[in-house]
Amino acid sequence: MAPDQSNVVLEVQNLKKYFPISAGLLRREVGQVRAVDGISFTIPPRKTLGLVGESGCGKTTAAHTIMRGLEPTGGQVIFHDALLGAVDLATADKETLFQVRRNMQMVFQDPQSSLNPRMTLLDIIGEPLVIYKIAKGTELIDRVAELLKRVGLRPEYMRRFPHAFSGGQRQRIGIARALALNPQFIVADEPTSALDVSIQAQTLNLLQDLQDEFSLSYLFIAHDLSVVEHISDFVAVMYVGKIVELADTHRLYHSPKHPYTEALLSSIPRPDPAIQQTRVAIRGELPNPASPPKGCTFHPRCPYAEAICAEEEPALQEVESGHVAACHFADNLNLRGVNEF
Amino acid sequence: MHPNLLEITDLKTHFFTEGGVVPAVDGVSLSIKRGGTLGVLGESGCGKSVTGFSILRLVRPPGRIVGGAIHYFGRETVNGEDLTALDARSEALRQVRGAEIAMIFQEPMTSLDPLFTVGNQIMEAILYHQDVSKAEARKIAVEMLDKVRMPQPADVIKQYPHQLSGGMRQRVMIAMALSCEPQLLIADEPTTALDVTTEAQILELMRELQDELGMAIMFITHDLGVIAEMAEEVAVMYLGKVVEQSDIQSLFADPQHPYTRALMQSIPKVGQKSSGRLEAIRGMVPSPRRIPSGCPFHPRCANFIADLCNVKTPQLKKTRAGHSVSCFLYDDGGSSNGA
Repeated sequence: MAPDQSNVVLEVQNLKKYFPISAGLLRREVGQVRAVDGISFTIPPRKTLGLVGESGCGKTTAAHTIMRGLEPTGGQVIFHDALLGAVDLATADKETLFQVRRNMQMVFQDPQSSLNPRMTLLDIIGEPLVIYKIAKGTELIDRVAELLKRVGLRPEYMRRFPHAFSGGQRQRIGIARALALNPQFIVADEPTSALDVSIQAQTLNLLQDLQDEFSLSYLFIAHDLSVVEHISDFVAVMYVGKIVELADTHRLYHSPKHPYTEALLSSIPRPDPAIQQTRVAIRGELPNPASPPKGCTFHPRCPYAEAICAEEEPALQEVESGHVAACHFADNLNLRGVNEF
Repeated sequence: MHPNLLEITDLKTHFFTEGGVVPAVDGVSLSIKRGGTLGVLGESGCGKSVTGFSILRLVRPPGRIVGGAIHYFGRETVNGEDLTALDARSEALRQVRGAEIAMIFQEPMTSLDPLFTVGNQIMEAILYHQDVSKAEARKIAVEMLDKVRMPQPADVIKQYPHQLSGGMRQRVMIAMALSCEPQLLIADEPTTALDVTTEAQILELMRELQDELGMAIMFITHDLGVIAEMAEEVAVMYLGKVVEQSDIQSLFADPQHPYTRALMQSIPKVGQKSSGRLEAIRGMVPSPRRIPSGCPFHPRCANFIADLCNVKTPQLKKTRAGHSVSCFLYDDGGSSNGA
């Protein structure tokens, strides 16, 4: 196959992941949790898509389903592999998946539980190189040393175990492992939320430097809206399994089109005592994804809800070029941006 | 009445572990005004939580208060008493805990007992501290849940913690903490585990309840946004010491300690996206077992002065009314621009 020259790295189309709810002695299926319910987006090369949403909205499930760590219930995940061309990960066979996964890697939230405590850094970072038969012996050691240096750790540490390192250093180890195979695409699931404030900046800088150096594309999942704004070119907002708004970062933060986005932006605690925030009052909490409200899932909490919102589910539609929102009144509401509260 | 509710003087709480002594809190002095809010800002390991636990005398072995005093000016029973001088198991201290000073924590699931109903757990404190019957205690519990804006409080008191969401559990914790109308509420990262919209709701609730009940709050957090929203005065802690102390406006308008300044520069500020890199603080927080000599921040400091910062320990000094900092840059009344 010819090398893929398209201007997209990842295309997710109508991706779904439902989990069965079983009950009773026979564990009969009595319902479904629609953790991811038909999401679509694309990520261009060398760009970062931020995926935000509150806990339980399905953002992590979406990431695992994209990587095919979970079997999708429906939809397509087209990955434009540098060698293999376009591959639908949702239906790819084992051998194809093995080949494609060289080019897509993951960085996890908790660097404590995502590193095997019985493996040295050499084992952890070298493992992908061994599995793909890329390096062994002294060559492997050289490669690992190089990777450690690149993420700002001393190569002398490669025979040590993860427990000897701080949280921020462990996250660097996780990043070095993800880089080992020189991937095109990295999913970073809350990579800085377990880190201290002073360490968070170092890690974000490292991720940005690596993106430039290795032409990486990122799917960056986080709940911290300041971090997501800083690192992302585009941002998608998820609510109860669905994307409710997607736009380039500046437009999403400064002229949101979905009331949920406005509510999120108004909730951010601002590090400036001079700002007297006037919050958008949103009532209540996230609904249970096993029995989401009828109509627009956000309507019970939405300050702008009208009769139609409880009846009809709004489709995700283009409000402006490149800016989509799922709200019946996306064109009419004059919502406030992040600096207007 | 004493203007301050609580005065901590030169508090030292050390942990005597097998690997050596960890000076988790090492000479901290703070005061909390009646009805005021003191924010304690710091990263993990700076001693902010241990300070909170020390006030309630809840530090467990191998930890121990080895120096200093905590004077509490509460109601009649304990007035001006040094809490560090009391026996941790004494009746006097039991009267303070819960009734005078209450505490809420980061993870409400682990602070609630999964085997008892919410009502049971709120009633326990009420029955201990107040002379009321069970039926009356239940009534107070429902009232408290109503006060923390819990929907259907009469039903919620029959529920178990796992049946509630994180935000609702934190409301239960607050209801429990405020059930005996304490004078001081110590809130240790109460919103860190919550989502941003829930966090905003809980912070607003705490402010409303403070206006209503008039208690003082000691708000412990690592989040500059939360501190800016909640605190009137702030103490910035680093490795067991207060490095800067100020009213909130002055701290954000003119942060003086290089650590405070670096922290403020290192966070991305929402609504001001730039394509550039963040100003990261170099290195990492050292292990509390190996605290650097001199100023504990010197290995990471951008304004490090050799043969001074690594040798001598700076003391907290007033640089203007209501603003103190412990840094040699300000020793000669110097400018905030530093070296």
